[in-house]
Order: sequence, then C-alpha cells, then structure tokens
Amino acid sequence: MIPIELYIGLSAIIFSIGLYGLMTQRNGIRILMSVELMLNAANINLVAFSSYNADLTGQVFALYSIALAACEAAIGFAILMAIFKMKGTINLDSINILRW
Amino acid sequence: MAVENYAFLIPLLPALAFVLTFFFGKKLPNGGAIIPIAAIATSFVISLLITLNLLANPEEVVSQSFSWFAMLNIGILVDPLAAVMLTMVTFVSLLIHIYSLGYMSHDKAQSRYFAETALFTASMLGLILSDNILQLFICWELVGVCSFLLIGFWFQKPSAATAAKKAFLTTRIGDVMFLSGIVLLFTDLFKIYNGAIPDGVYILRFDVIFSHIPEIAAMNATIFGMEVSHITIITLLFFGGAVGKSGQFPLHVWLPDAMEGPTTVSALIHAATMVTAGVYLVARTFPMFIAAPSSLLVVAYLGAFTAIFAATMGIVMNDIKRVLAYSTISQLGYMMLGLGIGATIGAEAVGISLFHLINHAFFKALLFLCAGSVIHAVGTQDMRQMGGVAKVMPITAATMIIAALALGGFGIPGTIIGTSGFFSKDAIIESAYVFGASSGMWIPYVLSIVAALLTSLYIFRLIFMTFFGKARTDYGGHESPATMTIPLSILALFALFFGGLATERFNTFVSDTFMNDFVHVNIAELAEIGGYHLGHHGHEPLIILWLPLIVAAAGLLIAALVYGMKVVNMDRLVSRNNPIYKLLYNRYYQNELFTNFFSVKVVYEGLSYAGRAIDTGFDWLVGWLSDLVLETGESLRQFQTGAVQNYATAVITGVSLLIILIKVVMEVL
Amino acid sequence: MLNKEFSFTLMGVLTTLYKFFKPRILGIVLALLFLSVILVSVVFTSWPAVDQLPQNLDDPSNIEGIGLLIFTDLVVPFEILSIVLLSSLMGAIYMAKGDGDE
Repeated sequence: MIPIELYIGLSAIIFSIGLYGLMTQRNGIRILMSVELMLNAANINLVAFSSYNADLTGQVFALYSIALAACEAAIGFAILMAIFKMKGTINLDSINILRW
Repeated sequence: MAVENYAFLIPLLPALAFVLTFFFGKKLPNGGAIIPIAAIATSFVISLLITLNLLANPEEVVSQSFSWFAMLNIGILVDPLAAVMLTMVTFVSLLIHIYSLGYMSHDKAQSRYFAETALFTASMLGLILSDNILQLFICWELVGVCSFLLIGFWFQKPSAATAAKKAFLTTRIGDVMFLSGIVLLFTDLFKIYNGAIPDGVYILRFDVIFSHIPEIAAMNATIFGMEVSHITIITLLFFGGAVGKSGQFPLHVWLPDAMEGPTTVSALIHAATMVTAGVYLVARTFPMFIAAPSSLLVVAYLGAFTAIFAATMGIVMNDIKRVLAYSTISQLGYMMLGLGIGATIGAEAVGISLFHLINHAFFKALLFLCAGSVIHAVGTQDMRQMGGVAKVMPITAATMIIAALALGGFGIPGTIIGTSGFFSKDAIIESAYVFGASSGMWIPYVLSIVAALLTSLYIFRLIFMTFFGKARTDYGGHESPATMTIPLSILALFALFFGGLATERFNTFVSDTFMNDFVHVNIAELAEIGGYHLGHHGHEPLIILWLPLIVAAAGLLIAALVYGMKVVNMDRLVSRNNPIYKLLYNRYYQNELFTNFFSVKVVYEGLSYAGRAIDTGFDWLVGWLSDLVLETGESLRQFQTGAVQNYATAVITGVSLLIILIKVVMEVL
Repeated sequence: MLNKEFSFTLMGVLTTLYKFFKPRILGIVLALLFLSVILVSVVFTSWPAVDQLPQNLDDPSNIEGIGLLIFTDLVVPFEILSIVLLSSLMGAIYMAKGDGDE
C-alpha cells in the first residue's frame, strides 16, 4: 500500500511549482495556470485523505472544488480580457496603479 | 411617616428642578420658574418641619448614611446647626426666586437663570446636609461652579466673564487648601486605625472625626523648626478654604467683582448663602478648631481685621452693589470673629456666630434685593446719579431703611426691642469684650467697635445718597411689581423682629449642636487640649452694652450730616487726591498687587519663560520625531509596489519563516 | 556552421542557465524553502489513515457512492455551487462582452 505521505508530498511539490509560477511569471494567463495548479494540488490532498479515511465526502468536495476552479478561471479570463481591452497587454507589471 | 425620613428630599428636589428647568424651561412661561419655586418651597416646608421637631427634641438629630465605597459614605445629618441653615437657605432662596420672577422677566435667558439658581440651591443644601467632610467638599465645589456660572450669567459682557473667572480662581486657592486639609485628616485617621478600619466605620464622617480629635492633636509635625500639632495644620487649612469661600482677607478680592452677576444672584449667593459656607465649615468643625492651639486666635484676628478692612473700603465706593459687597465681607469678618471668640466662650460662639449669619442673610438679602429694585427702576448702579428715589419707590425705600437699621445694629440693650442685626452683632462685640477681658487681647474688640461705626456710616451714606435729597439725574423710576415688593416686605419683617424674638432660644439651640445622639463632644475637654481657658459671660459694664449702639448712632449722625443735610461739603473737606481717599478708593491697591505683581510678573512672566524653554525643547523633539517618521515612511513605502505578485511573495516568505520559527521554538521548549 | 545559441560547450550551457535563472532565482529559492518546510512537516506528522483500503471487488467504482452523497447529504452545497457557477459565468460573459458597440 502506498503511504499517504507520498500523495501529500506530490501535492506539496505541485503546489510549490504553482507557487513558483505565481511569484515569477508576469503573463496573466500563466499566472492563472499557476493558480489552477495550486488548486489541483489541494484536490489531490482532498482525494487522498478521502480514500485513506474511507469517507467519500472528500471526493465530493474535490468535485465541488473543480467546479469552483471553473468559475475562477472564467472570471479570471474575463478580467484578463477586460485588462487587455484597456491596456493592450496582459502583462501584469503594467497593472500597478494601486501604489504610492 | 415621620418627616425626618424625607430629609434627603431637601437637596434632591431642587436638583430635580434644575434638570427639568434646564431641559424644558424654555417652553414654559417665565422660563419655567414655577418648577424651582415649587421644589424649593417643598424643601422649605420639610426643613421647617424638621427644625420644629428638633426644637422640641434637640437630641434626636436626623442622621442617615449609607456606604459609598471602602471607608467612605454618603449621608445626611440634620443637627441644630444644619437645621437652622437649611431653613434659612430654603427660605431666602424661595423669596429670591419669587423676586426673580419680576427682576428677570425681561431677560431672554430666564430658564438658564432659574436652572442655575436651582442647581445652586441644591448644592448648597447638600453642603449643609453633609454628614462627612468629603461630601461637604464635593458640594462646596459645586456651589463654587454655580457661583462661577451665575457671576458670568451675562457672559456677553467681558467684565462679567472676567469677574467669573476671577471668583473661580481666587476661591480655588482656598479650595486647594481645604482639600489638602481633608487629605491630611484622612491620612491621620487612617494611621490612628492602623489601616484596619472596621466595617461600618466611615472615617470621614463627623462623629468619627470628632471622637479622634485628641489622637490627631497628639501628632506633631515640624515646620520651620517649630513643633506644630496636626490638628492645627488641618484646621488652618480648613480655615484657608473658608477664607476663600467667605471672602476673608486676603482672598476677598473676588467678592466685589462678583457683583457683575444679576443682583438677585448677588443677594442669594454672594450675600446670604454661599459666602456663609466658609463660616458654616468652621462652625461645623468647631470641635477641631477648639482643640487646635492658636487656630481660633487666627480666626478671631483675621475676622476682626477683615471686618474693619472691608468697612473702610465700603465708605468710598460709589457703586451701590459694591458698597453692599464690602459690607458683606465686613459682616462675614464679624461671623469669623464670633467663631474665633469660641476660644473664650466655647460652643456658645457657634450659636452667636450662626445667629449673626442667619440675621445677616435676612437683612443683606433684603439690602441686595432693594438695591436690585432700585437698579431695576433707575437703570444705573452709580449712587451719584440717584437721589430722591424714596419718592418714587416708597416700599423699597422703607424696607431698605429697615435693612440698614438692622445692619447698623440699632436696638435698646436689655430689652427685646431692636433689629435683628442689633442682637447678633452686639452679641459678637460683647463676646469680643469678654475675650479681651479674659485673655488680655483687646485688638479684636477695638477693631470690631470701630468697624461697627464704619458699618453704620457706609450704609447710611448709601441710604442718604440713594433715597434722599434731590434727584441728580432724570431717571424716571417707578415702584417695582408685587412679585418683587412682597419678598422685600417679608424679609423686612424678619430683619426687624427675628432678632428680638429668637435670640435666647436660638443661641442655646445651636450651641448644643455638638451634644446629641450623633456626636457627643465635650467642648471643655477639647479646649484644654487646645490650651484655651473657657470663661462665661460675666456682667459687662453698662457702657459695654451701650457702646455698639452709641457708635452706630454716631455713624448714622455723621452720614446724615454729611450726605443727608450736606452740613459739611465732603468734596471740599476731602479732595479726590487725598492719599487716604485714594488708598481706599483703589482698595488698598491689593488688586493691583495681585494682578500686576503676582499675576503678571510672577505667574505670567515666570510661566512664559519656563514655557518658552520647554517649548524650544519640545519643538526640537517633535521636529526630530516627525523627521524620523517621515524618513522611515519614505524608505518603507518602496515596498508598496502595487503588484499582487510581490505581495504574494511576501506572504509565502512570511508563512515559511513563521512555520520554521514555530518549529524551532517548539524544539527549544 | 553551428549557431552560437545551440552550442553545447560548457560555457554556453552555464551562460544559458544563468540567463534563465537569474531573474527567477528568488522565486526558486522561496519555492524550495516553502517546499522543504511543507515536506518536513508532512514527513514528521503521523497522518490518520485506515489500515486497509476498503475494496469492493464486485464494483470497484465509487461513482454510485459519490452520486448518492451529492444528492442526499451534500445537496445544499451542490445547489449553492450551481448558483455560484451560473452567476460567475454570467459575470464573466458580461465582462468579456465589452461595451456592445462592436
């Protein structure tokens, strides 16, 4: 039987990759992809715990979380489109008016 | 349903009236005057009933108290001393409120006036009813505040605002002394109990204080190399408070200026009631004073000096209210003198002094109200512009002359014929004689006799200048309405007959105020602690009995000759540049000394130098601080880049470091 | 003739790596820091788990169980989620649509 630590470790690695992308990337779509990655790391955790505790609720919530990810992606892309219309770019470095 | 149980209503009703009048007075006719009048009338009835009960059974004083916090309580005490004061204050206050109906009828701020006077009456009654010194002090400050408010009632006038400030600040000097006295007294009592105060013992209540007088007297402090008993320090500090409140020398300067308020206020607060609070305080703590070596002598000397000092200034004033103000100071000096004479005659002094206090309240309130009536009609306060007012205002003139006779002290010794002032003031002067005879200190007696002459002189100067002779200006006055003349007539009756009817009964009643269920003080024993030798009224020579009357008559005669019949032309006799006249007219330059020297030179300039130095220091400090903050902000704000990713980076870093930190800490622990 | 960019000399590889990593070095360090912290935590934590995974050999799928759960115990979150999804889609469409003058 595969120890649960491996699943969690995988999830942590995927999450860190998402984190890295979030911190370094400047392109809006890449950032959204990073965020999706982090969200799916969490889903792995949910399913892993659900299986290892013989409780299906976690898997159901993983489904819900996927649905929420869809919402997030939809909104995120819509925002990016709006930004593109406004600025002509989706490089988030140009969206820095909220500063001193 | 004994009326004693409702004694607490006496101050509470006017307090309630204050709230009601303050909030709803504007919507009612006459500024809601009916509310305080009704409340004070009820208080008066209760006080009167309690006093009558007490007269029948002087032992059964009313005493209710409940715990406030720790070892302090709130309570009321109606013993003979408080009872007569209560009755007098409610009575005079009631009459003055009725009089104010007419006097203040044209003022737009009527409701504020009535609210403030109601508050004043409530606090004064609370002061009188207090059964502990702390509560007394609280009410003492409250009446001070009311006095401030009412002197500055017409605060649109700069002079009134200044006078209010002056009164407040001057009395504050005394109040601080009073408070220091209370603190010292509290410390001593705390020490006596070794800090372990049993339940139900409220250490600032008068019975507890009085029962520990010998122990307090045994404590000594060394001041400038002299051994001084604590009780002397405490009583002198209390007397300092009384000096401020009762306008004794040298803190009397506020009282003449206090005449900037409405005349009714002068009558109520600065003649009849509040200024007597100092006398009341000394009378209330009389057992402490008599156990304190030399305190009573200070009281006697200062009282006698104030009596003559103020009287000399009263002679030269031209403002009708200022004459009365100096007269008030002078009479308060008499009351203090009366208390000081307790060094010889014991608790009887309280009776004599309080009797003068009550009588003075009647005739001085009457004098002020008459003056107010005259001012109301004539429209000026300057006596040089009056003259012949008696023709247009017969009732006012008659009542004022009665009051003047009472103030001068006219009556026939040995009978009950005489004005009220005669009985009380002459009792004080005779006691001063006894004091002189037994102790060899004649100065108070001499001063009081001369002051009696001056009293008669200045008050009849006022009468002649105001009511007789020809009108010096065209003022076209008229008699005041009935709401004003009826209180005048009632007060005149009291000024005329109260003394003759009540003297003996009153003096024994009040003198026994320290011998009842609540406190039982052996004055003779305490006097031994204080080193006073109590004597009794002997048979004074006949001349002593008649002398006050003779000097009063002499004063009247001089006033009549100079100001009435103009036999002597005063202007030619004493030029305006006469040094004595100038000295008196400028009030011994005391004001100038206080303002120009103490206030301006010492306080103002001293403070401004110190202030400038501190200012510079703070300037630098504040500048440095602001620069520091500015520079820190300048560098720190670089972190706000506006890019969410940077923030996310910071959050991640923080979380990681935090987890590491927690791990490390957990390991170490 | 080899293009310089595709040179596989050691110096060239290092230069390329340096160019690639230099602006990202902070991100890499932080991500590794976070990862190590999490991994250490994960390894040193004892996770609650059943000894034996439940196995139904007749029907290895758990779709039925999930479906039952969604429509019984967790139906309220499901409904709420549906509304959230719908409204977010509507919002996204509204935002993406633009001013409507195209």
